[in-house]
Amino acid sequence: MNNEIIKNIVRFILLLIAQIFVFNKINLGGYFNPYVYLMFIVLLPFETPRWLLLLSSFSLGFLVDIFTGSLGMNAATATFVAFLRPSISSLLLPKRDKDSGILPGINFMGLPTFTLYTALIVFIHHFLLFFLESFRLSELGNIIFRVILSSFLTTLLIVILEMIFTSTKKR
Amino acid sequence: MRSLIMFLWKQRFFLVFLILEIISILLIVSNNSYQRSKFISASNGFTGNILSFYDNYISYFNLKEVNNQLVEENVRLRNELKSSYLKLDSTTGEVFDSIYFQHYKYISGKVISNSFQKRNNYLILSKGRKQGVYNEMGVLSQNGILGIVNSVSDNFCSVISMLHSKTAVDAKVVRSGYTGTITWDGKNYRIGQLENIPSHVEVHVGDSVITSGNSSIFPEGILLGKVLTAKKQSGKGFYDIQILFYVDYNKTENAYLIYNLMKKEEDKIMEGVENEQ
Repeated sequence: MNNEIIKNIVRFILLLIAQIFVFNKINLGGYFNPYVYLMFIVLLPFETPRWLLLLSSFSLGFLVDIFTGSLGMNAATATFVAFLRPSISSLLLPKRDKDSGILPGINFMGLPTFTLYTALIVFIHHFLLFFLESFRLSELGNIIFRVILSSFLTTLLIVILEMIFTSTKKR
Repeated sequence: MRSLIMFLWKQRFFLVFLILEIISILLIVSNNSYQRSKFISASNGFTGNILSFYDNYISYFNLKEVNNQLVEENVRLRNELKSSYLKLDSTTGEVFDSIYFQHYKYISGKVISNSFQKRNNYLILSKGRKQGVYNEMGVLSQNGILGIVNSVSDNFCSVISMLHSKTAVDAKVVRSGYTGTITWDGKNYRIGQLENIPSHVEVHVGDSVITSGNSSIFPEGILLGKVLTAKKQSGKGFYDIQILFYVDYNKTENAYLIYNLMKKEEDKIMEGVENEQ
């Protein structure tokens, strides 16, 4: 369990750095903004106390915000998906799985379920974030277009990263 | 009382959620006001140092291109030098310094963080209060407008980019002299919108658009872009004009902050006008 805590703290820091210096700089026509830091929320163990889930997601979002200048937006949306995460995971997984110390990941959930679980969290987050950012109904078409493209890219990146890290673990 | 506490304890997950969301929304709202809160301005020093450390390494990759841009600018400035003009008429009057009073001076800065792919974009420059930067300063690059300063710390300042939903810059079409406002619709970071040009004016594709000098932030005549398309909107008296920015917001390295030497005087006049309204 201690090991798991350290792993998550390291993941928190690495994802924050990667988000600020790599993923915030990605430029593909100006339409893709991947928010890969969500991987931290996706991969937190199921038995994490809920207050810790909320608080850590909030602080990660807040730190990302400080460096992007969009104060409060990532904090609000990350907290929101952290709030929804227990419901999303109980929707996709049978109850007994969650109680027996299983970690979210391809190893335990299988690729299709993990992808769907990630995609749901990412899509909700991106939709709220991009909508908060522009806050105009008149731009709804443009927002949805960007949400779909960016969600696709973020989900893809998270699944690829997860595949890389699980495959090295097996060796 | 006891049952109330029991109820709150049962709902603690939701309560924590609610508190955190309220904090974030307060942050968003306070950040949306034009001047940012003191707290963030202070933390700019911290984030600014980290970002400039990163920029120190990254900027080497663009050296060649930045050099080219600077050479181009030098050539343009050299062309404007007095020594590069031939005096043809010996009777032209001389220019006295007492007539021309310096209105703007420029402070050079370096862009250490920049975004262009969001709906609301910001830049961070490595010049701050100690170097004479103040709020609402205009910021230029070699070939156009970058934005307006919105918060200053000791050694850094953050700038609301031209690519922001709240930015509106007064501009005019060179050929006709009509003034309008440039905004950005959030779609393509190379293309802005020029509004409020009445539809009886002739606007041609390729017309240059410059700053109008109607505000105390930007001097007149800074080249912004050229007209890409101009459509007459049916039922409205105004054009729908798309302009191509000369600035590539994806490649910004150097910036010039415009120090308005007469800002105090201009602000005083504006205050008087506003008080009368």
